[in-house]
Amino acid sequence: MQTSASHSPSLPAAPQAASVRMPGPIRHYGRYLYLAINIAIIIFLLAPIAIVVVFALNPTPFIQFPPVGVSLRWFEKFFASRDFMHALGFSLEVAVLTTLSATVLGASAALALARGNLPGTRLIVATMLSPLMLPAILTGLALFQTYVLLDVGRPTWGLVAGHTLVTLPYVVRTTLAVLHNFDTRLEEAAQNLGASPVRTFFEVTLPLIKPGVLAGAIFAFIVSFDQFPVSLFLVSPGNETLPVTLFNYLKFDLDGTIGAASVVSIVLAFVVVIGLDRTVGLRSYVKL
Amino acid sequence: MSASIEIAGVSKVYDGGVRAVDAVAMDIRQGEFFSLLGPSGCGKTTTLRMIAGFETPSAGAIRVDGADITHVPAHKRDMGMVFQNYALFPHRTVAENVAFGLRMRGLDKATIATKVKAALAMVELSGLEDRRPAQLSGGQQQRVALARAIVIAPRVLLCDEPLGALDKKLRQQMQFELKQLQKKLGLTLVFVTHDQEEALAMSDRIAVMNGGRVEQVGTPTEIYNQPTTRFVADFIGDTNIFRGERAAAGQSLDVGKGLILALPTEAQGTGVLSVALRPEKIRLIPRADAATPAGTSAHGIVENTNFLGGAVLYRITLEGGHRVLVQQPNAGTSRLFVPGNGVTLQWTPADLVVLKD
Amino acid sequence: MMKALGSLSRRRFLTASASLGIGTIAAPYVARADDPTLRITGWGGKWGEIMKAEIGPAFESEFKCKLQTDSAFPYLPKLQASSRSAPIYDVLHTNSNEQWAAAEMGLVEPKIDPKLVPNLADVYPYAISDKIVGVSIFTSAIGLGMRTDKGYGNVTSWKELWDAKYNGVRGGYVIPVNSLGQAFLMMCGTLFGKGQTDLDAAYTALEKLKPIKIVDFTGAMEKMLLSGEVGLCVIHDSGIYRYDGQNQPTDFVSPSEGVLSLEQVLTITPGSKMKELANAYVNYMLRPEVQKRLAETVWYSPANKKVKLDAKYDAKLLTTPEKVSKLIQVDWKWYNERKDEIDQRVNRIFRA
Repeated sequence: MQTSASHSPSLPAAPQAASVRMPGPIRHYGRYLYLAINIAIIIFLLAPIAIVVVFALNPTPFIQFPPVGVSLRWFEKFFASRDFMHALGFSLEVAVLTTLSATVLGASAALALARGNLPGTRLIVATMLSPLMLPAILTGLALFQTYVLLDVGRPTWGLVAGHTLVTLPYVVRTTLAVLHNFDTRLEEAAQNLGASPVRTFFEVTLPLIKPGVLAGAIFAFIVSFDQFPVSLFLVSPGNETLPVTLFNYLKFDLDGTIGAASVVSIVLAFVVVIGLDRTVGLRSYVKL
Repeated sequence: MSASIEIAGVSKVYDGGVRAVDAVAMDIRQGEFFSLLGPSGCGKTTTLRMIAGFETPSAGAIRVDGADITHVPAHKRDMGMVFQNYALFPHRTVAENVAFGLRMRGLDKATIATKVKAALAMVELSGLEDRRPAQLSGGQQQRVALARAIVIAPRVLLCDEPLGALDKKLRQQMQFELKQLQKKLGLTLVFVTHDQEEALAMSDRIAVMNGGRVEQVGTPTEIYNQPTTRFVADFIGDTNIFRGERAAAGQSLDVGKGLILALPTEAQGTGVLSVALRPEKIRLIPRADAATPAGTSAHGIVENTNFLGGAVLYRITLEGGHRVLVQQPNAGTSRLFVPGNGVTLQWTPADLVVLKD
Repeated sequence: MMKALGSLSRRRFLTASASLGIGTIAAPYVARADDPTLRITGWGGKWGEIMKAEIGPAFESEFKCKLQTDSAFPYLPKLQASSRSAPIYDVLHTNSNEQWAAAEMGLVEPKIDPKLVPNLADVYPYAISDKIVGVSIFTSAIGLGMRTDKGYGNVTSWKELWDAKYNGVRGGYVIPVNSLGQAFLMMCGTLFGKGQTDLDAAYTALEKLKPIKIVDFTGAMEKMLLSGEVGLCVIHDSGIYRYDGQNQPTDFVSPSEGVLSLEQVLTITPGSKMKELANAYVNYMLRPEVQKRLAETVWYSPANKKVKLDAKYDAKLLTTPEKVSKLIQVDWKWYNERKDEIDQRVNRIFRA
């Protein structure tokens, strides 16, 4: 009796009808102001990076404006330093291991929280996100004391565990966000077509929550790679991460090597993000 | 090969005591187009989901070809399903979507390719293999969903309001095609809908559900012509329902306000009864001067005239105050009654249907 | 390690993460697994380089042990967090003020036994004075650093720093976090009041130093002096002398009122399981040849009286009893007891 046409929502009103008409020149000023504010924000965000780059390329051993020239001597010094190279390699190793563990744990936890119908879900989420609220230096100190009490020393896995703790919230958050909009009928469709729960996860669920998981993984990598406060207590002699090495170097030698190291870190983080994007695919083709 | 389904005393009670499905029993025959019809919240979708294995019954059993599958997981049931919003995998192409079930069955690549091609041809989507679902129209997505479900040659095809999102023209076309396909493949098809016209047009049999229970199971004509309950009579099409007292051994029903209805000879029951009279079963003539035979006619005034094209629907107030719907075919010659016209209504006792409350 | 990362399979990841604790990263020296390990702290920079390259390995081969150096700050909280009976370090190397804090908490032994460390007999008195816990193996002299190209004239006194002509180019430290700043504060009491402990006189003097550029690390002060951003500043001699031979227009001034000492102090932890090796290490660091090598690398004045430095170092560093007598030692015990109060006060002075 009733047609579906009568149910279909009417088209939204034409947008012009609602917008306020302003005289021409004022609208122009508004646009320039908008542009100016955006440019100011971009400058504000990029200025520190620009200063670091200038510092790294300036041949004098101190920050100088205007720079007196361009030289790669600090990059040479950085790459020639066994300590820095070792720290760089170690930081990458820790960041990769942290990314793997935080991503696997965080994504699984998010899935369990979103689907598991667990009692006290909100409390668990709050607990998992709590490392973000605690000053990281306290997390580092507490872990250090725990390791000392357990008499395990300061092993690399201990450092990775510390980094995992502070990167987990990012993965949980981003994964929960995609799961929130996830249509569970897609999983039912897969099972209906004969996919076991495990296959359903790998064939349907994982590909569809990938953008969120990957975003979390990238956060985890960057937070771990740049991590200083947690590492401060957990690094062991001979195995220091790049930020800790930079900090110690800073106490004795404040020269362009710091700038060079920062530039290398930025480039490296950028390369990893792009690499992850290209290989695993960050582009979301999903209309979630 | 298509299968029969037996639903035996199945209930579903959710946490908090909500009884979504209450002791539902029905037999769905092999190769039958069977509809579950009812308003939203009546339990039809929950029943379908229990057949598919997405929900576990709280009580009762579901048998397919006699074998109890109540606790068999969904992925081992060998049923196809078309979801309300199609549930196509957005990250896969049309061909990959259709191939999914075949891949899960471990078929080799060549077989899969052949079957996918055939299935897409069957739903007239050849050439769209490499599109993604988001690039298709609603009707095309619907066909992909259908192809994906039938390509695995399921024992049963389940459809959850599959045509609900399509516009009217397209929906009618898809109704026709789905029906054709079902007949051609001899599929046992369980079809959930809230649209009674759709159910009447397509089904071999219909189960009308309300409040978690089955009100009536029957063919479309049975459901329409002999509704057994007040709910079914009211839900299917327009109808006039009267309620009154039947004197012991009397052949008429006194529905008050001076209106007496002659009951069909075979009518059962005494005391308070409800009867239904379809608007198109009533004849309408200009008011007769003569007195009218009580029980099969009454005088009234036209309140409202609603021209429907093929028919005209009148709302009439009888002399005693009852309001009645009357539908007359548009023969094209006679002029229409207009509001204010005096009319006389005539009916045959055999057209009255006695209802259970 | 980098190569391994490329091919990290899931299985390898699991085994790798399980075994990483046992030192997958190759140490720069070859030590046998059963060698005892002496855990020490040590500076980075040039000091760290030569320790790692020469002095450390020589010690390891002579004493058949492995030296594990933590050069990641902060040492004290880590030592504090570890158990007294199994401390994280055997030998603590840090500046005198931190050593005093450690001694107050019982984290380090207050004295070194001269019977176990024979070279202790050859050190200048300041190195084992009552102002020192453990032993000072080197000291720097804190005085003034100045630009020689700005025509400031001949600077001889600390009080020169208060001259208005240095407004805008005067350099000092964030006192709560920097030993030089703390020592300088005590000097202010001596210069303008009744002595080191005359804090009121010191606060008044600090107030009058404004405007002043303050930094937290001495390295930053060196750079500001090199770039000309400051013209006259509080600094230690090694922070100037290390640029020797680069023709920098900077010089160190040893004020007539005396220089403050910035000692490099070694102590041994009471819970150390390597007491014998720890004492041997302290003794080793006091050996004339070790002292000479380090002193000429980082421009620290050696504590051992018998050290004979090359002429150019001998001319500038404190290598005779006369020169050493110009050193003023800070009473860190007294200072640490009042640190919170002083921190609050100076923060107020320099925030305004």
